[in-house]
Amino acid sequence: MKDIRFENVTKSFPTRSGRPFVAIRDVSLTVAEREFVAVVGPSGSGKTTLMRMAAGLDRPTEGSVRVGGREVTAPGPDRAVVFQQFALFPWKSVRENIAFGLRCKGVPRARQDEIVAHYLKLMSMEGTEDRFPHQLSGGMQQRVAIARSYAIEPDVLLMDEPFGALDAQTRTVMQEELVRLTRKEPRTVLFITHAVDEAVYLADRVVVLARDPGRLREIVDIRPTREAEEWGARPIEEVMDLPSFTHLRTHLWRLLRDQIRPDD
Amino acid sequence: MHGLPAAQAVSDGAGRSAAGRNGPRLLVAGSRRFRIGIASLAGTLALWWLLTSLTGLIGPHRFPAPAEFWAAFVQIAVDGYAGGTLLTQAWHSTRLVIMGFLVAIATGVPLGLVMGISHRAEALLNPAFLLVRPIPPLAWIPLAIVWLGLGDAAKILVIWFAAFVPSVINTWTGVRSVDRTLIEAARVHGASELRLLREVVIPGSLPMMFTGLRLSLQASWTTLVAAELVGAFFGLGRVLDAAYRDINPPMIAVAMLAVGVLGALTTRLVAVAERRLTPWRS
Repeated sequence: MKDIRFENVTKSFPTRSGRPFVAIRDVSLTVAEREFVAVVGPSGSGKTTLMRMAAGLDRPTEGSVRVGGREVTAPGPDRAVVFQQFALFPWKSVRENIAFGLRCKGVPRARQDEIVAHYLKLMSMEGTEDRFPHQLSGGMQQRVAIARSYAIEPDVLLMDEPFGALDAQTRTVMQEELVRLTRKEPRTVLFITHAVDEAVYLADRVVVLARDPGRLREIVDIRPTREAEEWGARPIEEVMDLPSFTHLRTHLWRLLRDQIRPDD
Repeated sequence: MHGLPAAQAVSDGAGRSAAGRNGPRLLVAGSRRFRIGIASLAGTLALWWLLTSLTGLIGPHRFPAPAEFWAAFVQIAVDGYAGGTLLTQAWHSTRLVIMGFLVAIATGVPLGLVMGISHRAEALLNPAFLLVRPIPPLAWIPLAIVWLGLGDAAKILVIWFAAFVPSVINTWTGVRSVDRTLIEAARVHGASELRLLREVVIPGSLPMMFTGLRLSLQASWTTLVAAELVGAFFGLGRVLDAAYRDINPPMIAVAMLAVGVLGALTTRLVAVAERRLTPWRS
């Protein structure tokens, strides 16, 4: 397993006006091995940019991003990404989608089948392997995308608002399943979201970003509470009703609300 | 660079998506649709008969009555006209269309792929392409005849020119319109450039490529008939030309309808190929 280290990372993009747009300014952050870190922030705070730099899809303008001690320069199968819009290949069946990264790695066919079957079972999706993505609900599609990322056994899992496109009920079910999955097969996770309750429920630590330019505002440690109260072993609605949960959520919300403007 | 190809591609793309939306309903109401189709055909025939034979509103020197049309059809089908029967004339034209069309795909699709993938190739090829593109396919006919005479080779050449442009443009637009997130998803899961091309870029551009193929096929028929009208030894365009010289409207109508039927049938073949190759779009 590997950790993720952002060291004094700044990312700016060129614009037409000539003055670069600063998406992220001087962010330093470490996600430890097997730690689940959620990043929340208003839109324009550079959450997604942070994730993309860890994935190797964008390069920092200044500073460095290291995964397992090695500087990230390009995408690699040690860092799988789950996208908000699922990004499943529409022309591939569920089985082919999950096996995609395995084929890229040159895993033998028989082993591929075993791994696909394992994740189909874990995601309670047996029987759907021959369907095309468009024949599945949004929740099912995102399960396939998570399975596709998990299948290549990445050290690091990067999730960019993975439940943002789902309806509220499906979203709650998926949050619970993700907790179950990460307990069973832990990964170093960087999870981007704009939903505060989702962040508190899932993460060991929640990173709050401020905007214009995107920068670190506060890091809230959830883990002691979660472990003391055994959140992982209780149903989500019960956890979200606990005074400790509400307290953390309110604290985070206060950090965010003064940055949210009506025109967002 | 994007405005022009997109405009041409979208015009057909809109029609395609409308057809796609009707897809599932078509299965349910298939038999009803078929009945409406038959009724529409019968209505057209009745109107034709009404305007010509019954009322004489359109005289035989302008457009043939159904009976005259049938007589001309039997004449060309059995005895032949302008050097061959309907079957041999139609086959001659169809064969040329298919050959020209295949040559156009075999050259146009790869070029479109290269221009879509590599910005350097696009920068190199686009200026020449922009200049050649607006030349109407029919304008190539005189040059083709000067080079290759009135035979088949000249016809294949003009069909190639006509069908080439839509193939290139739509493949190129198709490559550029592949969802960027899918390309990133392939990269982060470890895909090599070759796998990215084979398993993401090409399947992702197939729908747009097929739009190009349909446009190419239409252009092939248009150009062939025109080229045969200008000068040919055989083919449906030759039939049209001979019937025009003989002042034989019934035979003109038969040749026109034959072109229409063949155009529809070959378009259907492309549609079948499209459904086979893009089974996920249903």
